[in-house]
Amino acid sequence: MLFMSVALAEVEGQDKPATPAEKYQALLKERQDAKLPLKFLELAEENPKDPVALEALIQTVSIVNGTAFPTGGKDSPGERALTLLRRDHIRSDKLGLVCQQVLFGFHKSHEEFLRAVLETNPHPEVQALACLSLAQFLTDRLNRLDLIKDQPDLAERYRGVFGKDYLEELQRQDRAAVAKEAETLFDRAAERYADVQIPVTYFGSGGAVGDKAKAELFQIRHLAVGKEAPEIDGEDQDGARFKLSDYRGKVILLDFWYRL
Amino acid sequence: MAQWPHERSLVKNLAGKPFALIGVHIKYGGDDDASIVKKVMVKAQLNWRSFVDRGAIADKWKPAGTPAYYIIDSKGVIRFKWAGAPGAKAIYAALEKLIQETEKDAKKSPK
Repeated sequence: MLFMSVALAEVEGQDKPATPAEKYQALLKERQDAKLPLKFLELAEENPKDPVALEALIQTVSIVNGTAFPTGGKDSPGERALTLLRRDHIRSDKLGLVCQQVLFGFHKSHEEFLRAVLETNPHPEVQALACLSLAQFLTDRLNRLDLIKDQPDLAERYRGVFGKDYLEELQRQDRAAVAKEAETLFDRAAERYADVQIPVTYFGSGGAVGDKAKAELFQIRHLAVGKEAPEIDGEDQDGARFKLSDYRGKVILLDFWYRL
Repeated sequence: MAQWPHERSLVKNLAGKPFALIGVHIKYGGDDDASIVKKVMVKAQLNWRSFVDRGAIADKWKPAGTPAYYIIDSKGVIRFKWAGAPGAKAIYAALEKLIQETEKDAKKSPK
């Protein structure tokens, strides 16, 4: 669809104003423009019925979430793009990638988007990524909650980086309930969507949903604070075989390291 | 590595206490055998025992990167964990707390 409309425009010459598809292609080439998320968003807002609108909104979300701290208030391009994706494209088969991109977000809107996709989207591949991403989003939230409990001075930094509202909402979370929901979602991802492939993103290297979900479940069930440490059986630097449990009775600092 | 001087002094200062530092050397992409790891440990005077992982340990534990730490109490329960270095102070405080716990328990139920 997209390519066809570009081809038509070329045949007809360049005198006419550029089509939405042409504008989209031109924006794709402007990689350095700080206003790019806004420009893609405006293109989508101006042409809500054009097929390029969905692509443009996905671009906005993708660029905004290309950093570990996708900040921005309610009226930021990223937030507006998510609102439009929910309003106009919630049933699209292209939302899987978007789900993976917002999972490191922290706004309520990110969570709401993932929940809406999981509930409404009819495509199993998209449901799979919404399910996995929501579970990862909740896990990330729990990690932040644990960090501020452990290091109270970090809460002040969170207030600065994420804002007062975020911090207060984080502190209101019911840890046990969130943990339970995350575990249930990982279970569901591992059971129903094991073979769906995760798209490669800035943050992740792909793989199967089932493998990722199972690894996360292992973390929750065996490697969380309060769980009995799994056995390690291996060789030391002299080639001698030993086990972690050989040191039962002692406090162990287990140190994952690399020689460089 | 930045954390090595601190870890060396931990092992020194806690000698005689119910404590052990145990390394898990992660192979990443390389095919490091024990002799390469041993050489590095001798040179850097790392005076503790380390697993030399061929991939099986990392597959299971999936550390987000190195360094990563777990503190396991004398009963084998994970009590603290960190991805990245939390700083010498945080590690020392956690160990001290658990070592005291262990020593108290030992007094309560002498073998």
